[in-house]
Amino acid sequence: MRAIYQFGKTRRLMCVSHLDLQRFMQMALRRSALPVAYSQGFNPHPLLSFASALAMGWTSEAELMDIKLAAPLGKAAALEQMRRALPPDLPLRGVRLVEDRFPALMARLYWADYAITLPGPAWDKVAEAVPGFLAEKEVVALRKTKSGEKPADIRPMALSLEVTPQGGGYLMRARLQLTERATLKPDLLLSVLAQRAGAELPQDAQVHRTALLAQDDSGAPVDLFTLKA
Amino acid sequence: MSLENLDRVLMQVSKPVRYAGGEYGAVMKDPDKVAVRYAFLFPDVYEVGMSHLGMKILYHAINSREDAWCERVFSPWVDMEDLMRREGIPLFSLESRTPVKQFDLLGITLQYEMSYTNILSALDLAGLPLRQDQRKEGPFVICGGPCAFNPEPLAPFVDFFVLGDGEESTHQTIDAYKRWKAQGLPREEYLRMAAAIPGVYVPSLHQVQYHAAGTVAAIQPKAGSPAPQVVRKALVNDLDGAFYPEKLIVPYGDVVHNRIMLEIFRGCTRGCRFCQAGMIYRPVRERSMDRLMALAQNLVDSTGYDEISLMSLSSGDYSQLPQLAHRMIENFAPKRVKISLPSMRIDSLIKDTLKETQKVRKTALTLAPEAGTQRLRDVINKGVTEADLIRSVTDAFEEGWSAVKLYFMLGLPTETDQDVDGIADLARKVQQCYFSLPKERRAPGLRITVSASVFVPKPFTPFQWAGQLDQAQVIRRQQRLKEQLSRIKGVDFKYHAPDLSFIEAVFARGDRRVGEALERAWRLGCRFDGWSDHFRYDLWLRAFEETGVDPAFYASRPRARDEVFPWEHLDAGVTRAFLLREWDKALAGQTTQDCRKGCVGCGMNRYEGACT
Repeated sequence: MRAIYQFGKTRRLMCVSHLDLQRFMQMALRRSALPVAYSQGFNPHPLLSFASALAMGWTSEAELMDIKLAAPLGKAAALEQMRRALPPDLPLRGVRLVEDRFPALMARLYWADYAITLPGPAWDKVAEAVPGFLAEKEVVALRKTKSGEKPADIRPMALSLEVTPQGGGYLMRARLQLTERATLKPDLLLSVLAQRAGAELPQDAQVHRTALLAQDDSGAPVDLFTLKA
Repeated sequence: MSLENLDRVLMQVSKPVRYAGGEYGAVMKDPDKVAVRYAFLFPDVYEVGMSHLGMKILYHAINSREDAWCERVFSPWVDMEDLMRREGIPLFSLESRTPVKQFDLLGITLQYEMSYTNILSALDLAGLPLRQDQRKEGPFVICGGPCAFNPEPLAPFVDFFVLGDGEESTHQTIDAYKRWKAQGLPREEYLRMAAAIPGVYVPSLHQVQYHAAGTVAAIQPKAGSPAPQVVRKALVNDLDGAFYPEKLIVPYGDVVHNRIMLEIFRGCTRGCRFCQAGMIYRPVRERSMDRLMALAQNLVDSTGYDEISLMSLSSGDYSQLPQLAHRMIENFAPKRVKISLPSMRIDSLIKDTLKETQKVRKTALTLAPEAGTQRLRDVINKGVTEADLIRSVTDAFEEGWSAVKLYFMLGLPTETDQDVDGIADLARKVQQCYFSLPKERRAPGLRITVSASVFVPKPFTPFQWAGQLDQAQVIRRQQRLKEQLSRIKGVDFKYHAPDLSFIEAVFARGDRRVGEALERAWRLGCRFDGWSDHFRYDLWLRAFEETGVDPAFYASRPRARDEVFPWEHLDAGVTRAFLLREWDKALAGQTTQDCRKGCVGCGMNRYEGACT
């Protein structure tokens, strides 16, 4: 059996790196007293994985952590024991118990939803560049990959993009591709928009992840946390 | 303070997680429901401060009260300090991000003289005047910890010091604060109230007179001062009954000691003459095995840590160590919790314990002979022999260790070149021990690390009368040792420039007047002096010159037998007569027995309930 936990990460913890979070969760599992399965070998560690790493500086309400259990467990206990092991700044949102053969989250992850706060009028030009971007068939940008920077068409990697005024600045909502092979990060999207607008890129965007999504058989986005097996 | 501002700043500094807070176990309270807000400052970076046991004890002790909220404060690293100044962000607490200036009490732990400039940085960043007599508002500044036993260099900046064990005295200072606040008394009245608490020393209630030659003539309570003639340290006799945390804060990033620290006893009976901790933490007080097992269980359950370190000044001396180690391992090994023992002595019966602990963990074996010859080890009363060392390393090599760290000091009183050469001899014998074992019985890859620090005479030790060896001599002896060790295969030699130890020696035995030099050095830009890449010897020398303080007068000068020390008005438990007797015996090369084998008359039994 596996337990998939959905949790958030608040602003206070935005500078906690993914590596630190992994180690922290390993300890959290120990104090949770959940029947976690351990790896074999000289230095056994709990079998846990994340659907996706959250970049430094970002916050989230929809991170997913996948834990292999050594014994079956009820949902209420799985939730309560984990809740006690986490601090208020890593709020637990829910748990889902699945069979071992349930697909790996990372393999099914396809899109991520972001709510990006663009504070202040310095973002005017970037916001104004959104309709032009959406009207394009193709937008080539240099994307950082493991093997260096490569030109790629990022337009289809932004499934939806809308921007609305908010408190003197803007709120941008974006659904961007997040797969192992091709990922469009909010930072790249913003810098491409700024570039197209001929504007300097302000440095105070706040990226908040609101959902991780898969695609169903018809290719429609569905929430990864509630995905059918 | 603008939190928005802070978040933006955090994205620009190194290791921002230092300033984030929000860890598991951090205590949050409603500020409107507590009477006293206590900021606890560790004057170094987060990773160092979060590894400190005393802070963990007092943090949770204060927070166990409903009427008080203790929050943590650490020194911002230099990049953060610059940005805080530029952005107008005051020093703040991690838990609630409240400016330090808004707290009622600011407790600071003094672990090391070279953190003093960080204290001035902290006061300044908090927006508080540095000088105690210029602060008309804001928190009272209270210092404790080992360096509080010579508080005089910090006297101009601190409201009061708390000597000795903090478990009870900290509560008493909070209680007194509540009474003071309730009565609406003037600021200085709190200090007069605090002076009545056992262990509290209020420097502004004492005055110092000096001889023309510069030495102290007398330190006495001012006329009409309620301060006692001599301030005795606070003592907690029953460690089993004393508060010990059963929850800990679990940090996100790496900290220096990221594990459960379990204090198995306090104090040390060995009587090493250079060791301040061994003198000021007397007498030995053990926690019972049952209490330790219960604490360990609760701490493992509440934190999720996978390692317990059995802490003390000399863990091998715990009266039932083999049983304790066995019970710990039996109970925790199945739960994948490792047990480690820092601070083992060479002459403890370590073989069985080694066997037990190595089942779960094997790190370098650390041994501290401190001096290279038997003559000098007798002078410092180290009480270990070469045979002890050889037996210990042989045991260790046979049990599968291949890395050994050996700690020494250079510049101990009466040291000669022969003693320096003795260090190299010992290293060679350790190497021979390893190679004398058949290949199939030893682990591959011998590594011997020889570390030689520079001796700093400390107050309340028999060596408080000694002058520190001058720097030119230290350098010569370091080079001599380096040259000899370079000829031994598998030996790595670690040592440091003596200038840092020289400044440390000034503040270890300084009087009130060196506070002027401290402030000047800070104004010139000195901070994080304990970090070698930030230590600025040139600025320190300039600070001494500009304030007319002769550093050699404090560091290098041998003291006369009848000299009045700047800490003469404080009582650390051991008497001056005992220390002087030990100093005489040191110079005569005579040893003193471990007081577990019979009382040596250190004076500690003058304290009620001690040494029973």
